[in-house]
Amino acid sequence: MSRGFLIRVGALARKEIIHIIRDVRVIYMALGLPVVMLILFGYAVSFDLDRLPFALVDQDRTPASRRLVEALTGSDSFTVAVRLDDPRAVEPYFRSNRLKVGLVIPPGFGRRLQRGEVAEAQLLLDGADGTTTSIALGYAAGVGQAETRRLLAKTGLLGDLGLRDRVRLRFNPGMKSARFIVPGLIAAILAIMAVLLTALTVAREWERGSMEQLFATPVRRVEVVVGKLLPYVAIGMVQVLLVVAMGSLVFAVPVTGSLGLLFGAALLFLLGMLGQGVFISVVTRNQQVATQVGLLSSMLPTLLLSGFLTPVENMPLLLRAIAAILPARYFIQVLRGVMLKGNGLRELWPDLLALLAFALAMVAISTARFKRRLD
Amino acid sequence: MTGAPDAPPAAGEVVLAARGLARSYGPVKAVTGVDLTVRGREIYGLVGPDGAGKTTTIRMLTGHIARAAGAVSILGHDPLGNGGAVRDALGYMPQQYSLYGDLTVDENLRFFASMFCLPRDLYRERREQLLGITRLARFTARRADALSGGMYKKLALACALLHRPRLLVLDEPTNGVDPVSRREFWDLLAEFVADGMAVLLSTPYMDEAARCHRVGLIHAGRLLLEGEPAAPLAASAHGAVRVDGGEREAVAAALQGHARVLALSPSGARVRVVVARGGEDEVAAVLQPLGARLHAVSPDFEDLFLARLHATGAVQEWTAPMAAGAVQDGTTPTEEASA
Repeated sequence: MSRGFLIRVGALARKEIIHIIRDVRVIYMALGLPVVMLILFGYAVSFDLDRLPFALVDQDRTPASRRLVEALTGSDSFTVAVRLDDPRAVEPYFRSNRLKVGLVIPPGFGRRLQRGEVAEAQLLLDGADGTTTSIALGYAAGVGQAETRRLLAKTGLLGDLGLRDRVRLRFNPGMKSARFIVPGLIAAILAIMAVLLTALTVAREWERGSMEQLFATPVRRVEVVVGKLLPYVAIGMVQVLLVVAMGSLVFAVPVTGSLGLLFGAALLFLLGMLGQGVFISVVTRNQQVATQVGLLSSMLPTLLLSGFLTPVENMPLLLRAIAAILPARYFIQVLRGVMLKGNGLRELWPDLLALLAFALAMVAISTARFKRRLD
Repeated sequence: MTGAPDAPPAAGEVVLAARGLARSYGPVKAVTGVDLTVRGREIYGLVGPDGAGKTTTIRMLTGHIARAAGAVSILGHDPLGNGGAVRDALGYMPQQYSLYGDLTVDENLRFFASMFCLPRDLYRERREQLLGITRLARFTARRADALSGGMYKKLALACALLHRPRLLVLDEPTNGVDPVSRREFWDLLAEFVADGMAVLLSTPYMDEAARCHRVGLIHAGRLLLEGEPAAPLAASAHGAVRVDGGEREAVAAALQGHARVLALSPSGARVRVVVARGGEDEVAAVLQPLGARLHAVSPDFEDLFLARLHATGAVQEWTAPMAAGAVQDGTTPTEEASA
């Protein structure tokens, strides 16, 4: 590293900091967006079932039917919103989106149970809302099984025989959504901000003509890239700190592993995303196009293909292949590992290696595509 | 712009040499076969109307764009091949605004000094000197985008001069600058050239060409004419006349397309005409019914340029864009001299 390299990179970074300080919007965006996204995602994206209202059609009206309803509402997962007489009256509630679940207990439910026959109750679900109904279905099925087992035990038919599954949820015992959303959110925020900010800043030099003046000086391309990126690396690290702190204070998401490892991984991830931003702006040379391409190329894959919300393992082959080269995927694995499981380097080195490889590749590609020409 | 060019320079060494430059944008041939040589202690003016190929030529010379054909040597280096050596020797001021508008005068100067790795002491010394001669010293804390057009150009010039380049390339440096600032700008250039610098600049203004040591007239991507500004004027085979009296548009309509009329341009309320030698009587006869008489003036660059265009068969607009510079400055100096 020559003296000239350090002088020019230092001057470019200093100039970039002045741009950022004088354009308050960048600071608002850099610090405001993470907070807004964390609050939005943290509260809105929840897979926890909390007092989901349902329509009850109890045509039996016996102690047995009331017991089933109590079993369902007992844990505060469900709550009875409306009592109806006719099963057909449930559908209008589905159509108008007022309710998504209905329970029909037909006449004779209690009598059949008393006779030791199979008694049936019907669960109606609004399939148009797949997420809610699948969570509701899973929960209701669990309640049904538990009730069956309880009834069998009472008749003495089953006794203590049969399976008793002992489920133990490790790392997130309460199945709190925030615990697995916050790590993914850190990745999403960093990806979007880093790609967007750098895409904008480099494209601006093209658009405003300063690139022409810059190219008349002895500055080297790699110096422009490094000098422009340094301030945004610092901003990115502040964002990580902000989101981790908020995740811990507001959503009680712990960091059980090493903070150093977390920040190291964040640094590698940031470099890759910043490189992607430079690449986009070098190719588009236009702030407006760079913004749109930057947003699409960072937000969509990070939200959809990284395992943030839906597991990568269930995707079709093509999407899994894309996910395999997506740094957000490895970063989220590292974050969940460090924050929830307390994993160390021994478990995480392959993910870190993938992040490093992507960062190096992106900086190399963007520098190579970065021509010292106006044409 | 008044004032004759400075005394002919002592023949400096060749700083910039270009041969056969060519470049197209799609089907449009922007520049074809341009040859140029610029020496030390010399201001070379690339003169031509908008769209003539001036910026394309300059960007090929500085290595900002690739060239389809031709060779460029700046102090023996190709700007495309050995960029580092060229950029240390080159000061460049693009036509468009290209400093950082949200940075102050001082911050811009300091930034570009850092790009050239100027040592601190040397930077202080040159900053002081450049702020003094550009009279920007009072505005060091002002943002570049809050400067007037003239001050902005002077700041851009200062930024391009910080590293004491041996070749200064200016693309339409006085575009959008008021007449007083333009004069100051030229005086600044003269100082630096006296110290041995070579200057290549482009301008659409004919009156500015008179302050260059040598000029090249460029039109439609070709150099039509090259030489010292005084020499081709003296050797001109044509006479320039001013038409006195008569209604301007009527005079123009009568002369348009006349065989002996080589060029026609508006000059205030009158018409300037370049007449082929010996054709004065014929032209005067045409104008007599309109109540207009001919008045001989000494030909200036614009006349020469328009006549030259006529010779190449190029279609000439009645209101040539060339006139913009002259109108901005009031009357052209040659006219006053001949009055």
